[in-house]
Amino acid sequence: MSVDCLGTHAVLSGRHFLYMVNLEAPSEPPRKIARQSKWDVGTVQWNPHRSEAHVFAASSNQRVDLYSWRDGCGEAHTSLLGHTRVISDLDWSCFDSELLATSSVDTYIYIWDTRDTRKPTVALSAVAGASQVKWNRKNQHLLASSHDGDVRVWDKRKPSTAVEYVAAHLSKIHGLDWHSDNEYIFATSSQDNSVRFWDYRQPRKYLNILSCQVPVWKARYTPFSNGLVTIMVPQLRRENSLLLWSTLDLNSPVHAFVGHDDVVLEFQWRPQKEGSKDFQLVTWSRDQTMRIWRVDPQLQKLCVSDMVEDLMEGMSLTVESEKFMSSQEPENPDGGHQDLAAGSGLAQTLQQEFSLVNLQIRNVNVEMDAMNRSCVVSAHFGSHQVHLVVKFPAQYPNNAAPTFQFTPPTTIPSAMKTKIQKILRDTSFQKVKRNQNCLEPCVRQLVSCLESDMTQEDSPASGPFVLSNPVTPSLQAFPRVTNTYGSYQDANIPFPRTSGARFCGTGCLVYFTRPITMHRCAPPTEPTPRSLSALSAYHSGVLTPMKMRSEPPSTLRLYSGSPTRSDKDTVSISSFYYKERKSRRFKTKREGVDYNRPIKLAGKVIIQEISCLLPVHKTLGESYILNMSDIQETCQQNAAAALTVGRRDVVWALAAAATSQDLNPDFDPDTETPWARHPFGLTPDLCVCVCVYVRTDPPPPPLPSLDHYSQMSDVQTLAMLCSVFRSQAPPDSYFPYGHHSSRFPSHHSRYVSHSVTSGSCSSTSDSTTTSTWNTGETPWQHTAPWGESSPDDYRYGNQGYTDPRERERELHDMNKRLLDPANTLQFDDFKKCYGEILYRWGLRDKRADVLKFTSSPPEAHKGIEFGVYCCHCRSQARGTQCAVCKRLTFQCAICHVAVRGSSNFCLSCGHGGHTSHMMDWFWRQEECPAGCGCHCLLQSTF
Amino acid sequence: MFPKPMKQCLHGLATAMVSVINTVDTSHEDMIHDAQMDYYGTRLATCSSDRTVKIFDVRNGGQILVADLRGHEGPVWQVAWAHPMFGNILASCSYDRKVVIWKEENGTWDKMYEYTGHESSVNSVCWGPYEFGLILACGSSDGAISLLTFTGDQQWDVKKISNAHTIGCNAVSWAPAVVPGSLINQPSGQKPNYVKRFVSGGCDNLVKLWKEEDGQWKEDQKLEAHSDWVRDVGWAPSIGLPTSTIASCSQDGRVFIWTCDDPAGNTWTAKLLHKFNDVVWHVSWSITGNILAVSGGDNKVTLWKESMDGQWACISDVSKGQSAVSTIADTQQNEQ
Repeated sequence: MSVDCLGTHAVLSGRHFLYMVNLEAPSEPPRKIARQSKWDVGTVQWNPHRSEAHVFAASSNQRVDLYSWRDGCGEAHTSLLGHTRVISDLDWSCFDSELLATSSVDTYIYIWDTRDTRKPTVALSAVAGASQVKWNRKNQHLLASSHDGDVRVWDKRKPSTAVEYVAAHLSKIHGLDWHSDNEYIFATSSQDNSVRFWDYRQPRKYLNILSCQVPVWKARYTPFSNGLVTIMVPQLRRENSLLLWSTLDLNSPVHAFVGHDDVVLEFQWRPQKEGSKDFQLVTWSRDQTMRIWRVDPQLQKLCVSDMVEDLMEGMSLTVESEKFMSSQEPENPDGGHQDLAAGSGLAQTLQQEFSLVNLQIRNVNVEMDAMNRSCVVSAHFGSHQVHLVVKFPAQYPNNAAPTFQFTPPTTIPSAMKTKIQKILRDTSFQKVKRNQNCLEPCVRQLVSCLESDMTQEDSPASGPFVLSNPVTPSLQAFPRVTNTYGSYQDANIPFPRTSGARFCGTGCLVYFTRPITMHRCAPPTEPTPRSLSALSAYHSGVLTPMKMRSEPPSTLRLYSGSPTRSDKDTVSISSFYYKERKSRRFKTKREGVDYNRPIKLAGKVIIQEISCLLPVHKTLGESYILNMSDIQETCQQNAAAALTVGRRDVVWALAAAATSQDLNPDFDPDTETPWARHPFGLTPDLCVCVCVYVRTDPPPPPLPSLDHYSQMSDVQTLAMLCSVFRSQAPPDSYFPYGHHSSRFPSHHSRYVSHSVTSGSCSSTSDSTTTSTWNTGETPWQHTAPWGESSPDDYRYGNQGYTDPRERERELHDMNKRLLDPANTLQFDDFKKCYGEILYRWGLRDKRADVLKFTSSPPEAHKGIEFGVYCCHCRSQARGTQCAVCKRLTFQCAICHVAVRGSSNFCLSCGHGGHTSHMMDWFWRQEECPAGCGCHCLLQSTF
Repeated sequence: MFPKPMKQCLHGLATAMVSVINTVDTSHEDMIHDAQMDYYGTRLATCSSDRTVKIFDVRNGGQILVADLRGHEGPVWQVAWAHPMFGNILASCSYDRKVVIWKEENGTWDKMYEYTGHESSVNSVCWGPYEFGLILACGSSDGAISLLTFTGDQQWDVKKISNAHTIGCNAVSWAPAVVPGSLINQPSGQKPNYVKRFVSGGCDNLVKLWKEEDGQWKEDQKLEAHSDWVRDVGWAPSIGLPTSTIASCSQDGRVFIWTCDDPAGNTWTAKLLHKFNDVVWHVSWSITGNILAVSGGDNKVTLWKESMDGQWACISDVSKGQSAVSTIADTQQNEQ
């Protein structure tokens, strides 16, 4: 599209016709100029000089045609022939009405004088093909061209070499525009998601950068100062609006021109009418409409003052005044509808597809030849090599799919070739049905086929085949923009889960699956694809541009009103599963079924009760009791409870049996231990050698049952056992210890000291039990600490103690503890975990019961805390119990009984005791009750 | 003598049936990507390609729609319930690059926080153990992992591990709050010194363990075994044992169980649970950490359990009572 210098005509280029729209009367049907060419028009531009206002140039492949338009009809009067490959851009000089610059991928930039059309007057040779050429607007000799990511600035008087060379972008430059007032400044827009502003005198560093998060197709200065309008690369089909920026503040656009229903292909400023302060922006979109937008002075001012407050006001004015013109063109007599649509669809020519296609895929190389409408895809995957020739028919992509042909040296088996060809045919057909380009989807499909094949073969090279990100680092952050499939194009976003199961709560399995009506398109032998990008091949339906999160909030707000999204168009993961259903119907010849009938896409979510699979039981949680005043009763009840849910756990029964012995507490370690000789008759098939009942001396080997239950992850039984046989054993406690557990490696350290007195343990292991131990997994006599000790050690070893009785008593206390105290923390963890489960069950009282038995340290005290030295072992302690000797830490100075409850003591001498005793004492006395002579009342206050 | 019941085998499982207790018709307009119940098992949250998150009250077999949370602009991949001590809080992550934290207040659900710091689809969210406060880990296709910590007063502290997984991070899962090596030589009288740890899996085929040290997140371990994208990781809940266990599953169809008995957490050994024919998308541990639910592209769910001798066996199709689990597809077929 191009608007002439008088602002009266706009020319639209189609393949068969050029359409002339009268901007003064946009509702009139456009006039046509027929053209005979199998090539689409590349670029079209009116001569910007009033004297030559009737002339415009249109490029067509390697040729430029000069048309003149007079009195409602036009014709091509001259052709400029010289380029050897397709012309990418052309530009009329602003100073000399006869000069036209053209750029081509043949690496030459020609400057033509229309008075001598036989050959170009100047030829500028660049090594790389050019994508854009633009005359400087202030200096008549200068022009700039873009080559991939570079810009060259030329002086037409010095054609041999470029004046300046600017390495502007890391990716291809799509647009180049000179500043209208400053001869040194230009703006470039690029695939790398940015617009950069340059002063070519400083080629190393850009003046400013505008980050757009999506590749920018064109960025052009406004005719009023400090403005810039950008459009996104149309092939991405993500953004239908034009953005107006202030070059003074590039953080957010000052305005968005919202209204087109599809991507904007081209835009141009209409020359200002005399006496008008408004500017008009003419835009042409893929939605087949041309719009004229008025930009009033208020909006123009925004580019200067950048007052966002004014934005809404300015916008509303503009939208109101926008003229809308539909250019639903008349029926094309020979080509029919689709031809016309494709012809005016402008952006979909093969050259453009080739120039925009993103095929930076690892192991894949694509050679494109727009001239012969073909390309060669070569790929290497492990040992396989693939050469694929793709030929594009002239009608492509207008409902005409390309052909795919494998050529040598392709090494994949022929079955695979057939399969891939079928997939490619399907993929391409899907696309061209909608007049969409299909090269990239096809290549990606090819890659994923080869990859999945490799994975199946499990070849060593099957590892990191990655649909890799583009090379440029700036693109890495926005991988989405690199494909052309709209929203579901992401090569590195994992393919979504469509079924799954999750354990929830305590005994539930929640799962969701695909509805039974949905099947995968791919045969079940093929694995589900890895990433979302695979979806593009399956998806059918028009893509909906995703809203860009990266857009500043102000523009998002503007977009929210735009009618760009409709739910019908939304593409979903379900497309992957959907297709099968359609084709199935096709197969069963049930055509004519209403395709629009809503198909249930979401399956049901099923909650399944699986607590019977778990080692913990809620009923047990409810019925288990912890009655420390009667352990035997507790054990019996718990055994009964376990039985009711079908568990015949020996532990409770055994514990109950053990406790049934009427034994009086006896503090004499030398007392005979009747249970120690009790023949338990343990059978090896129980895998547990449980419960040597030892009341006193033989130090306890750790519970085998604990080991067993931890292997079963039965935290419930673990916690209950740990609580019943808690660390602070009651005087008549029992020791259901069995052999050593490899899972509790930590206990040895503590036991070394006990082992001195532990010799008599061997006396328990005569007759029946001995054999039992030996059948056990780890006879406990063989564990290191125990093995060292013998009855002799015990009998004589301890004579070294100054007071053996006291020492023995101490050890006896330790040994009374049912479970290895070194593992206390672990036992606490069991209890806490079980407490958590009880909490989930809503059994908060039970939880409190269990947690009472944890030995967890007191909460960190906030504020002043009195440290206490234990009166027994002199170690420092917190609270009333010594962490080392486990006795109560201090005694009342009056009654000499250990203080547990409320206490007071003198900060000066440190003596004190029960609060009531102290109160009584100091009611009458002033000196310390301990007799230390301290005047406690004077020294401190209670 | 020895009581008779004791001769019975200890590990005979209860024979009760596995039973479906609820079937929730979510009325999502598009495919469901995650479903999760809250801490007590009273509410169900689901998320879908239709860009919504729905919450159902599923007590007593009911299915009352409590909330229909709209705010995402793309398919919602995953949801996560926070511990109820912080209130009713749900996190969701989406293709739209956002993480939204929803909170129920006075019976209505609202956005509590929206995190937009990722540059690509956010694939996984996971709340840390409640001992660490309200902390959320988010894994994204931009390769980064974000850790959002609620600092009170509507403020969230964000820490980001950039390039945690090249190409993209697909899953995150927290370690339970246990003190490494707590079982040994823990000085009594001190509050346990929990270390924040989590595991992540990504498109670099790696499973990575992360640890917070001095307020900084560091890569602790890198576990290599998978030959394709790691799709999910699950750190098994702890019941107080010194062993750490992690399950990981991958596009390559393999599920690995990683265990570490070493208190320092440095030696991890991998055991192949099974190689499935299709991609494995999800692994989930039972609350006692001894059963693993595995689900994937084949639309099936299998349950796996470690036997006493350390072998993993599929239990979902071994005995009659449990067969319901294995034939989930059939179940659904009958229901529809």
